[in-house]
Amino acid sequence: MVEALLSAEDVSKDFAFPRSVVDLLRRRHVTAVHALNGVSLDVRRGETLGIVGESGCGKSTLARCLVRLHDCDRGRVVFDGTDIATLRGAARRRFNARVQMIFQDPYSSLNPRMSVRQILSEALRVHRMRPAGEIDGRIAELLEMVRLPADAADRHPHAFSGGQRQRIGIARALAVEPEVLVADELVSALDVSVQAQVVNLLLELQDRLDLTIVFVAHDLRLVRHISHRVAVMYLGKVVEVAPTEALFTDPRHPYTQALLAAAPEIDPGRRSRRAGARGELPSPIDLPPGCLFHTRCPHAFDRCPRDVPELGPRGPGHAAACHLDAPAPRP
Amino acid sequence: MSALLEVRDLSIAIAGAARPLVDHVSFDVAAGETLCIVGESGCGKSLTALALMGLLSNPPLRRTGGTARFRDRDLFELPPRELRDLRGGEMAMIFQEPMTSLNPALTVGDQIVEAVRTHRACSAAEARDRALEMLRRVRIPAPEKRLGEHPHALSGGMRQRAMIAMALANDPALLIADEPTTALDVTVQAQVLDLMVTLQRESGAGMMLITHDLGVVAGLADRVAVMYAGRIVETGPVAAIFDDPQHPYTLGLIRSIPALSGERRRLATVPGTVPTAAAMPPGCRFAPRCPFAGPDCRAAPPLAEITPGHRVACHRAPIEEKAA
Repeated sequence: MVEALLSAEDVSKDFAFPRSVVDLLRRRHVTAVHALNGVSLDVRRGETLGIVGESGCGKSTLARCLVRLHDCDRGRVVFDGTDIATLRGAARRRFNARVQMIFQDPYSSLNPRMSVRQILSEALRVHRMRPAGEIDGRIAELLEMVRLPADAADRHPHAFSGGQRQRIGIARALAVEPEVLVADELVSALDVSVQAQVVNLLLELQDRLDLTIVFVAHDLRLVRHISHRVAVMYLGKVVEVAPTEALFTDPRHPYTQALLAAAPEIDPGRRSRRAGARGELPSPIDLPPGCLFHTRCPHAFDRCPRDVPELGPRGPGHAAACHLDAPAPRP
Repeated sequence: MSALLEVRDLSIAIAGAARPLVDHVSFDVAAGETLCIVGESGCGKSLTALALMGLLSNPPLRRTGGTARFRDRDLFELPPRELRDLRGGEMAMIFQEPMTSLNPALTVGDQIVEAVRTHRACSAAEARDRALEMLRRVRIPAPEKRLGEHPHALSGGMRQRAMIAMALANDPALLIADEPTTALDVTVQAQVLDLMVTLQRESGAGMMLITHDLGVVAGLADRVAVMYAGRIVETGPVAAIFDDPQHPYTLGLIRSIPALSGERRRLATVPGTVPTAAAMPPGCRFAPRCPFAGPDCRAAPPLAEITPGHRVACHRAPIEEKAA
């Protein structure tokens, strides 16, 4: 059994709507977006775990819970044997350095008033990574690591393209020598030709620095390319998790099958598009009973709206949450 | 097949930049065919569409040359009144962001009714019937109910369907779609693309589809034009573009996309980034990022035919051997 470095154990997270006075007087229930509904997931040391799903599936909320930008409402996140909700003071700062997040939007995640040198040295100083005298040297090293020219240090974020800004974001995360990187839609704001540059860089850095990576994305191709294992999320739940090849060649959950069927082929000779899921995502405020996917599932039967399926084994390291053992992909 | 739309040497400039943003772009769209214009952000694909619809914001943008013949009329020479009759009638556009291109203060039904009554003489009741029929055709569930709803009450996919219903309400001969599914999730994107293919087949309209997504291109296009930094660098039948790409940029684009099956290999990359409007290089605009560039690339290469219908703007074409 490979050691789990970072685990989510039955994590749930709701975002409540503010209640007005009228709501209070009428004793209306608190309405909330149920972003995560009992997610259990292990991230193993040294691996890249891809988390894939469409908008609203809770993948970004999960990423934020993993780095404790959100506290979970139920369940817990365990890092290296400790529940991260219990960390205080120095121990929490230490955790923040060991688990770093890189954000989606390279335009809003860098302070426009700070130069790259200020951005990086702030990270180095807050976590006391280097004595003052060594900071400039370390900055040069970090810029070299993410393939930015040394003179980038004295420019401000606006002087850089989207791809270069994501490199600055990566350099900032690496400044504190983390063990785990949580990358939320790292390249989805970038053009394809630039995406490939950043993805290659991330893979190289992982090799060189022994990083554990949680790669959150909606792009199946990228997730397949970069991940050792992949978890598929739907409406705040993990519906399937498996080693990458097993997931892509033998998907066992109807939603995974629908996602794969919907991904367009880059080959005009194979136009076999079929929409594998009917309709659209139900509201995360008012979740369907039973299996969350049953409203769109081509295989749904009488049990699905009643019973919640648990994640069950489907092969080595492969689990799916479906009442059917092997739903046949639709012809 | 005679062309429905014939664009020749379209150029668009922005105040303050030395070189045009769209530079001598020419292409045809025939009835019943889908031409995909593909390129990355800033390549001028959306500007081209906006210019055809007469929607360029002038200033700072200005059309500096070119013609666009649509059914024997030059779109750029039409008096505003006639252009207005054409738009939304014979020639319709679907925009990327359905939330900002639908009027939030009007119901979906009212917006389609308005589109219908602007272009044909009919009673309000007839227009309403037409709106209902269109919502049915784009497979919006419970169309009678949706007619009376405002756009905010609809999901993203439903809004895009409503946009398509509105665009098709007057049976356009030419449909211009600018990233129609980019804002949608993949499972919904697949549904909307399916729908567009079916509706186009039924109506026989020509379609000009603008996208950055090569998957959409591979699934929909009859012919493809690849744009880079304001120019068409390669154009041809869809099979030729994917099986036998000849421009180094097209090659780079196709190879930088990870596969969904088979071996996982290191992704090819195109070094550097797209030039900004203020810093367009002279000569071949791809040369600064091109692995095959040489001194002759300081002169802009012509878009030359290498096999019937397949044109490439590169001094090195054909390149297949050197790229391996």
